[in-house]
Amino acid sequence: MAESEEEVDVLVQRVVKDINNAFKRNPNIDEIGLISCPEARYNRSPIVLVENKLGVESWCVKFLLPYVHNKLLLYRQRKQWLDREALVDITCTLLLLNPDFTTAWNVRKELLQCGVLNPEKDLYLGKLALSKHPKSPETWIHRRWVLQWLQKECSPSGQELKDQAEPRGDAVGRRPCERLQRALQEEMRVCADAAGRYPSNYNAWSHRIWVLQNMAKDNLKVLHDELSSTRLWVSMHVSDHSGFHYRQHLLKALARELSQVGEMELHPTQQPNGESTAGASDDNHHNDVIPQLFHEEMELCTDLIESYPGHETLWCHRRHVFYLWHQWRREHLQEAGSQSPPLTHIDVLLSEEPCDEASASQAMDVDCVLDGSKHGSYTQDTKRLKRGPRLPHPGLPSEHTFVSRILTGCRSPEQSCFAIAYRKWLDSVIGQ
Amino acid sequence: SCSLSITVHVFSNLIMEEASPPLRCFSESHSSELFSDDGVQTVTSREQVSLTLSISYVCQFLARCQSPTGGFGGGPCQHAHLAPTYAAVNALCILGTEEAYEVISREKLLDFLYSVKQPDGSFVMHVGGEVDVRSAYCAASVASLTNIITPTLFDGTHNWILSCQNWEGGLGGVPGLEAHGGYTFCGTAALVILGKEHMLDLKTLLRWVTSRQMRFEGGFQGRCNKLVDGCYSFWQAGLLPLLHRAFFKEGDSTLSVSSWMFERKALQEYILLCCQNPGGGLLDKPGKSRDFYHTCYCLSGLSIAQHFGNKDLHNELILGRDENRLVPTHPVYNICPEKVAQAIEHFHRLPVPVQTGPTPSAMDQS
Repeated sequence: MAESEEEVDVLVQRVVKDINNAFKRNPNIDEIGLISCPEARYNRSPIVLVENKLGVESWCVKFLLPYVHNKLLLYRQRKQWLDREALVDITCTLLLLNPDFTTAWNVRKELLQCGVLNPEKDLYLGKLALSKHPKSPETWIHRRWVLQWLQKECSPSGQELKDQAEPRGDAVGRRPCERLQRALQEEMRVCADAAGRYPSNYNAWSHRIWVLQNMAKDNLKVLHDELSSTRLWVSMHVSDHSGFHYRQHLLKALARELSQVGEMELHPTQQPNGESTAGASDDNHHNDVIPQLFHEEMELCTDLIESYPGHETLWCHRRHVFYLWHQWRREHLQEAGSQSPPLTHIDVLLSEEPCDEASASQAMDVDCVLDGSKHGSYTQDTKRLKRGPRLPHPGLPSEHTFVSRILTGCRSPEQSCFAIAYRKWLDSVIGQ
Repeated sequence: SCSLSITVHVFSNLIMEEASPPLRCFSESHSSELFSDDGVQTVTSREQVSLTLSISYVCQFLARCQSPTGGFGGGPCQHAHLAPTYAAVNALCILGTEEAYEVISREKLLDFLYSVKQPDGSFVMHVGGEVDVRSAYCAASVASLTNIITPTLFDGTHNWILSCQNWEGGLGGVPGLEAHGGYTFCGTAALVILGKEHMLDLKTLLRWVTSRQMRFEGGFQGRCNKLVDGCYSFWQAGLLPLLHRAFFKEGDSTLSVSSWMFERKALQEYILLCCQNPGGGLLDKPGKSRDFYHTCYCLSGLSIAQHFGNKDLHNELILGRDENRLVPTHPVYNICPEKVAQAIEHFHRLPVPVQTGPTPSAMDQS
């Protein structure tokens, strides 16, 4: 079983070449993986390409990895020269097997800077590495470096420099904003994939937030699009705290951006600050959109809590959305001042009411079950009644109604626990 | 009844990992120091003896990990990075000999810290690297132990850390991110070192961290709705001593005088019953394999759960046999309190170095 150094050398050369050829043969490889195979059989390559999946038989890793790792370190210590093509291939092989090897990513940074490596190719390698190691911190960190570098390249001053050098006729020479647009959309896809491969993937979702802030610059359209595109995802991952945190981030960003837009519409010659005179018709734009966003999020939350009892994330999400809503409402009522008449019917509903169960009933609840004496059955009729007319915007009374509704006929002990804790939180944190 | 035996094995194939020998030095030596020598010939006692004999060897090795421009890297000839710097300084303080203290080049360490300091008060983990709140803790820990804090070193740092606290009450890696156990500990401990922990929303933080103890398992999760993990026995439970002290300083009269504000017995049960590898070493949860990191942090958490209070007011709650008792660990530095005191005493006899390297604004931030 022991391989001589020459044999290992030959094997490694072959494997590196095979990996390289696989990518040449199939530019659509979208996933890599390790094939459990403790011993080499026959005399065939450990690299397996089936449809768009690249597999590496596990027996070769213990030969491959130390050898390639060592070769790169020798290059770094200037003890052994490697030409640029070899560096690309070697780092590619290394990173597919061990994407947290910072040195290899740093070599690729250098290759990018001297134009040997194309950023899209490098991002593609990262995407593949993430298909096997969806959390890999070094991969995400390197990705952010590449994206920042790409942004600099595509900036007006960066473009001038490039045009002065050589004209590039390939896809890389495409208009910069298009290139960045594609990169942005691709990042969202990569984040979504990685999030799906590991529950509550902190690094993937943090990266997604970074992309919003640094690439999309909190653009309203992107924020809205992200809110719609993640809605289905979170509905299928109801315990994914990171996914819901992302939606909380989107709501906060949207509320902030829309408010600024609202300010600028009101005072085009002034800088947006916290002040605003109430009553102008322009105010209605963001005064309606933002509550609508919160209302829809609460509805989504309600649906999911009812459909999937006992998931702490959903209750945590509800708290946060309600808290954000509560804060926003307070700020904007303060801004409007006490002398302004209610702008819309929303304001009437928003006024604080004492939050005891007796006064919590609203017209639509008259025929519904609120009292604790009815246990067990949660009939279709009651459900229909409760879902009837459109719910008013969230407020303390409606939240207490919601909790009571959940507790009635609740069969999940965790769900009861979370509901009671939520009510306690409403009283101690919001209702003071 | 619960029995506890630890054997520290050396893994031979860690050369591929960038995660560093200094970190292993720290986790191994801290794991060992938590066991006091009780006279019983356990494998651990033997390891301790051999460790004593090889203190010099470890000092020499860590010296080779020190960068000529200051700070420690993941291995000899590697660039300095705050994580191995934290681990190396802690390991040297655990060793606690003159030789160990002298390994640290304080002037260069200060230069290194300035080289990773950012204008907004945060620190990158290494030159050219990214910011996250762990770096502030690593920097504050090493700077306070070795007495190299200058008036400007931590300018703005406490404000930056505070901005990492989110509505949940915990802290994220950078402002705006999800609250996370590891980051929350680092941010809070850093603020304690800087004397600014009272600026946090302590009540919300308390609510968040106490909610992270799992009702069924008894151990802690890192974030809401995640699974339990043995290492959070320290990162999360370790917050309660810090919070207790903070509330005490505020004059809170309702504070317990006998226990931290978490279920100490349940945590000990989780660690002892679920986190031990039969061959020695500790782990995340049943089914996972052992590693040095989990061994270190499960044991640290066990110590936190066993010991309440300080020298003046001390209360022990040892689950299972007496031999399960570990020595107390310092809730900020996570090395034994005597070693902290000894290091601080040694380094405070020396003057604070003068910064000689370039300031952050002068450096090329690429």
